[in-house]
Amino acid sequence: CPNGSISCQVSLGDLFDRAVKLSHYIHSLSSEMFNEFDERYAQGRGFITKAINSCHTSSLTTPEDKEQAQQIHHEDLLNLVMGVLNSWNDPLLHLVSEVQTIKEAPDTILWKAVEIEEQNKRLLEGMEKIVGRLHPGGLGNELYSRWSGLPSLQLPDEDSRLFAFYNLLHCLRRDSHKIDNYLKLLKCRLIHDSNC
Amino acid sequence: VMLNFISFSPGQPPGKPELIKCRSPEKETFSCWWKPVSDGGLPTNYTLFYNNEGEESFYECPDYTTAGPNSCYFDKKHTSLWTIYNITIKATNEMGSNISEPHYVDVTYIVQPNPPVNLSLALNKHTDGKLYLLMNWSSPPLADVRSGWLTLEYELRLKPEEGEEWETIFVGQRTKYKVFSLIPGEKYIAQVRCKSDHGEWSKWSSESYIHLPKEFRLKDMMVWVF
Repeated sequence: CPNGSISCQVSLGDLFDRAVKLSHYIHSLSSEMFNEFDERYAQGRGFITKAINSCHTSSLTTPEDKEQAQQIHHEDLLNLVMGVLNSWNDPLLHLVSEVQTIKEAPDTILWKAVEIEEQNKRLLEGMEKIVGRLHPGGLGNELYSRWSGLPSLQLPDEDSRLFAFYNLLHCLRRDSHKIDNYLKLLKCRLIHDSNC
Repeated sequence: VMLNFISFSPGQPPGKPELIKCRSPEKETFSCWWKPVSDGGLPTNYTLFYNNEGEESFYECPDYTTAGPNSCYFDKKHTSLWTIYNITIKATNEMGSNISEPHYVDVTYIVQPNPPVNLSLALNKHTDGKLYLLMNWSSPPLADVRSGWLTLEYELRLKPEEGEEWETIFVGQRTKYKVFSLIPGEKYIAQVRCKSDHGEWSKWSSESYIHLPKEFRLKDMMVWVF
């Protein structure tokens, strides 16, 4: 802190650097967890054909490509990131406990679920700081998508239950990539004037 | 007698086609390639059909030419991220047709950039008098790293021309690097490659060379310095 300064705070650039590191890490973990699960439990079951258009966050309309993402105002993109992040609080919490019921679930999957849940909370805290800095009055309408998938993670039929996990991990991988990608765009746009 | 069993039919329907791979060089477009089938001597036509997650209808490949023979190119307008493409190939000849197994593609996970370009090698002098090799390169022209859409990480490799083994150095997102441990009088070859955050390594760039002067000496330990 410089001498005599009244408020001492982390710069917006540093906040974004940390957020992007976290989002990158979370997506790497989600991606690895999905791959491990896919290799171990999903082979030959045709899960991917069923795991289509069934993420609980698909009601949040997000940009699908670069042009769309660049046209959207940074405030709206931030709002979307917050919406997707918030929508994962609940399912991640349940994932951590339910994943332990999978037969012979390897420690690596269990560990990753715990780690993602914790890091997601940290990312959300960081993002709240960023939003507070950019828009002290808040972002306005809070987006959020409710998850109602807990019963499907507890189904007695193993095949259906494994599919529910597969689908959740697939959606987690996708959404964590969206968050990572949008945050990297926002960082370059807001901190480096689109010249990263 | 056996001859009676040999049929002299004019040909057979094509075998089952197979999609070999799909690749996106910049997370904005992508292409898929398939292996031509055994066609029994008859001319075979290929059609690629795809459908996106949540859509009922199947569409035909928008462009069969841009990515070369037996391929389909999806331009920006036809490329969406965060959706699964369900792709099948149909091979048809005058005797019939055959359809491949469906192939599921998520563009995020098929990104393999083109190699970096303009790798330059220059001998510079440090403030303390030590000579070092400065390596400089640029991201592949198609990749949009400035907007943050794509984040690239780089790996370098370097060896004396006659050397057997490459020294490989992962350098993260930076696009320049200083090398202090070099053998005077040697001619060095260097290359660089890149990878987007969750994709595959590009091919190595074309080779760059530098011939170091003979009198250039180093007494210190050999160390790689950032």
